[in-house]
Amino acid sequence: MKISKLILKNLKKNVKNYYLYVFALTFSVALYFSFVTLQYDPALDATKGSIKGEAGIKAGSVILILIVTVFLLYANRLFMKRRSKEIGLLQLIGMTKNNVFRILSAENFILYFSSFAMGMFLGFSVSKVILMILFKITGVETTVNLRFSSEAFIQTTIVFTIIYLLMMGLNYLFIQRRTILNLFHVNTTSETKGKRLTWLEMLIGLLGIGLILLGYYLSTELFSAEYMTSNGLFFMMILILSSVIVGTYLFYKGTVSFVFHLIRKRKQGLLSIQDVTSLSPLMFRMKSNSLLLTIITTISALAIGLLSLSYITFYSIEEVAKNTVPNDFAFISEEDANQLKQALDSSNITYEETIFEVIQVAFNMNDILSQDNIFANNDGYVRTPVISDTDLERMDVDEGELIISGYNKSLQSVFPFKSSGIVTLKGKNNTVELGYTGIEKNYYLSHYYTGGSARPTAIVDDKMFQQLKKDLDREIEQPSSIYIGLDVVNKKQLEQAHALFAEQNFTSEYAESQLHIKKENQKIFGLIMFVVGFLGLTFLITSGCILYFKQMDEAEDEQPNYTILRKIGFTQSNLLKGVIRKQIFNFGIPLLVGLSHSYFAVKSGWFFFGAELWTPMMLVMVIYTALYSIFAFLSVLYYKRVIREAL
Amino acid sequence: MFILQATKLHKSYGNKWNKQEVLKGLDVSVKKGEFVSIMGASGSGKTTLLNVLSSIDKVNDGSILIDGTEMTKMKEKQLAEFRKHQLGFIFQEYNLLDTLTVKENILLPLSVMNISRKGAEQRFRALAKTLGIEDVQNKYPNEISGGQKQRTSAARAFIHQPSIIFADEPTGALDSKSASDLLDKLKELNQQYEATIVMVTHHAVAASYGDRVIFIKDGQIYTQLHKGEQSRKDFFQDIMSTQAVLGGVQDEDQ
Ligand SMILES: Nc1ncnc2c1ncn2[C@@H]1O[C@H](COP(=O)(O)OP(=O)(O)OP(=O)(O)O)[C@@H](O)[C@H]1O
Ligand SMILES: [Mg+2]
Repeated sequence: MKISKLILKNLKKNVKNYYLYVFALTFSVALYFSFVTLQYDPALDATKGSIKGEAGIKAGSVILILIVTVFLLYANRLFMKRRSKEIGLLQLIGMTKNNVFRILSAENFILYFSSFAMGMFLGFSVSKVILMILFKITGVETTVNLRFSSEAFIQTTIVFTIIYLLMMGLNYLFIQRRTILNLFHVNTTSETKGKRLTWLEMLIGLLGIGLILLGYYLSTELFSAEYMTSNGLFFMMILILSSVIVGTYLFYKGTVSFVFHLIRKRKQGLLSIQDVTSLSPLMFRMKSNSLLLTIITTISALAIGLLSLSYITFYSIEEVAKNTVPNDFAFISEEDANQLKQALDSSNITYEETIFEVIQVAFNMNDILSQDNIFANNDGYVRTPVISDTDLERMDVDEGELIISGYNKSLQSVFPFKSSGIVTLKGKNNTVELGYTGIEKNYYLSHYYTGGSARPTAIVDDKMFQQLKKDLDREIEQPSSIYIGLDVVNKKQLEQAHALFAEQNFTSEYAESQLHIKKENQKIFGLIMFVVGFLGLTFLITSGCILYFKQMDEAEDEQPNYTILRKIGFTQSNLLKGVIRKQIFNFGIPLLVGLSHSYFAVKSGWFFFGAELWTPMMLVMVIYTALYSIFAFLSVLYYKRVIREAL
Repeated sequence: MFILQATKLHKSYGNKWNKQEVLKGLDVSVKKGEFVSIMGASGSGKTTLLNVLSSIDKVNDGSILIDGTEMTKMKEKQLAEFRKHQLGFIFQEYNLLDTLTVKENILLPLSVMNISRKGAEQRFRALAKTLGIEDVQNKYPNEISGGQKQRTSAARAFIHQPSIIFADEPTGALDSKSASDLLDKLKELNQQYEATIVMVTHHAVAASYGDRVIFIKDGQIYTQLHKGEQSRKDFFQDIMSTQAVLGGVQDEDQ
């Protein structure tokens, strides 16, 4: 047979076997190309918020290429392993190593670059859709007309050519380093063979669970005051990360096989067919795959965590904008407010006005906090804005009492206030003790006073307010002591009012529009969300593919077992049931562990990102799980074929 | 009285243009409790015959009755069910699962039957004792010897007390001592449990353990030898001479 014919023949076989490899490559190229196309697209400047869109996308593309490279190299290694017998055979019939390498490279070249071309084409066709998605997420309104970007084309070609060369380099080493004999034995590593459980493994298993739990426990304590120095925080994070990751590794190395071993022991040798096709192979495979599984779990956890956090941020934009600027427009000087009022009047836009007089008083709230106040000074006092209940129409606070407002659910769940207690207020000369009677979740002041949510606003009786006003500590007072909020009555006119607002020249930078903040945040966080989503999708698909490839590999290794089982009378559906169970574990365990990791990670610090935890996090997790399950489903289909062909 | 009755078996491999007929209208029947050996040259179709008789492979034509049930008409699911309950297999290449211990391998056929854990344990003990593999029951196949594997495989074939056991060169990979050990056990089981055994072998010695030897040539039965009342040694001589006439691959050194 001529060599060119051999190449073609091999190729045909490989396309059928490795359609997913082709798919993954095509997908990677498409993703990267469209990503880079965006980077070079002038339309992207429209999404420029306070950070440059291009920079975000650029950082994304670097991470993207890292993932893709690792993934492609891994896939390539797996395929080399599968074909090692063939390589050995070619050498056995007298081909030199260089010849074999040349054949492989040529074959790979065709496979690789045709997938590459497909990916390019696909990438170009979808990049318009992707750009539209980006604009939709960031709320930018421009027309999308995409050109073919030659810079993007060149960059993609260069990057993927480098990956190809890297792959070939590794293949060359693979062929050079191995003798014919061990080429024939690459497949028969110890991983399928039975081995007995040792005490050491049991210990490792217990240690694994212990470390994971320790990490989880520490993560719930992460933002409590004890560790709140920046060094302590950093140290804690490193500790949590390493304990969880090492724990995960040991979990796969020992715990899984240990638990399965116990189950098996209980059956006293009488295993059901489902056990035979799921339990026993899993026991040994998980152990030998523990590094890979750890990486996949960590990556999934990272992806889910980042996706959740960015979605939490994105999801909370509206609420955060409201908490930052509680009225449609907020001012801290009458002059600025009047300027807009005039403009609104002349355009016949009716509005409502809210005015607060605000003073700053030092509060000691240790008595009503369940844990130490992380925002307080060393002496336990924290500057707190105070308003009078007369400025609030629907509220009356008793003398000698106070209400805390502007403290939302999320903060309340993390740094809870008790339901009652004593608060000490320190003026310049006197201190007063007031009874605290509860929390009001509304926000009344803009972030000029509240610093976001860092300083909840206290509401006191007017008499007390006047008294406090006489005893002000000038050192902590703000330059401004008035808050004016304007609300447009007819919300349909809001856009118009916003346009008028944008035209004005205000004296203070704290003349703010809620809508403006919302839009700005949508641009920034929309872009972050977009990039993270893109990367998350890549993580998902690459890790799914890797697990799938691994399953393909395992399925082939186990075909002889299926042959035996079918010969002695087990039906295909008997075997398939076990295989399905095996896939549930195979894909489910890394997923569950990853979900659980990311849950604790997100839970420990989500309140820095937004105001709502469950809805956005659950949504991300459900979607991730659904997409991920596709790969488990594909593996089952592959197994089905292998089982069918086993007899 | 025949537990297995096969008539006019035809089996060919390949496609329309390139066809190879392996079985050409072969008839064979086996009585209940009989120990039948099948011999013939390499490539004569012994494994093929065993495979079609045991429903692992399909015939092109002909009929196979086991216990009065026609097998050639059965669906794949029914056949699997049938194999599971009625048939036992000892394969030449052991065919044990690497991920299961010896005991688990042996108990495998019981997993689909309604049998108590205690009952299973009893059967296992008895068989393991007869076959001498009690000591290795908790080892994995890669930790035991070839002979032990073959005996494990035999135990698995017997555990569910099937009506027929098919053995394809069960002594193929064993030295003569292990081989005769295993054959002794087979004979013992054959007599003790009244199990019907159909065994393919290349070795005249192995064949002489049976009640009858069937010689296959050109897809047909060439001849048959009955042991009858003669001693095993005489029977062995008979087999040897028939084999010489047949001119197959001979290895009478055993
Ligand atoms: N799956 C198959 N496809 C095509 N031809 C086959 C197949 N299985 C067997 N054959 C052919 O059928 C013939 C009989 O094969 P079989 O395996 O039954 O021989 P055998 O008598 O068992 O030989 P041996 O003693 O070497 O095991 C052989 O010529 C073989 O080439
Ligand atoms: Mg054979």
